[in-house]
Amino acid sequence: MIAQVVLGAGLALLFLGGAGLVRLHDSYERLQGAGVGDIGGATLVLVGLVLARGWGATGGVVLVLLFFLLFTGPIATHAVAKAAFVRGVRPKEKRS
Amino acid sequence: MKLWVEAGILISAVLPLVRLWRGPDLWDRLAGASSLNVRVALLLACEAVLGGHGLLLDVALAYATLGFLGTVLLARFGERGER
Repeated sequence: MIAQVVLGAGLALLFLGGAGLVRLHDSYERLQGAGVGDIGGATLVLVGLVLARGWGATGGVVLVLLFFLLFTGPIATHAVAKAAFVRGVRPKEKRS
Repeated sequence: MKLWVEAGILISAVLPLVRLWRGPDLWDRLAGASSLNVRVALLLACEAVLGGHGLLLDVALAYATLGFLGTVLLARFGERGER
């Protein structure tokens, strides 16, 4: 029961991050939406998988994948944002 | 439970594909590719745990590693010089 709630919340965050990636106005805003949605969605889905099938033979590897995604997601977002900033992309000052 | 979780991840993988298809810039395409990598790794993990194929979990780990390396290397390459 609680595993389904956690998995559903993870799916909702994945959809929210994807909607932010499509709908936002700026490169940096899209990067922020994608990063937040990916990290939250991946955390909730993987914790939901561990809760659904118990601490079996695969739970440890699922947690290793979770910690790997938690470390590499902000690094990738920061690398892309820094590259965009160095190449001269500036955030929009004001939007209507 | 396996059906709706994997269907949800697949349908949510359409949105980074849209950004990958029509990002006006390289950085938007990189954001879409990184997000798509995360969703594919999650889909592999879901199939491994809920479907009973334990070997796919190692495939998901290797896929996440290679996707992260590809994103960071493409970002560094685009930062360095010519596109």
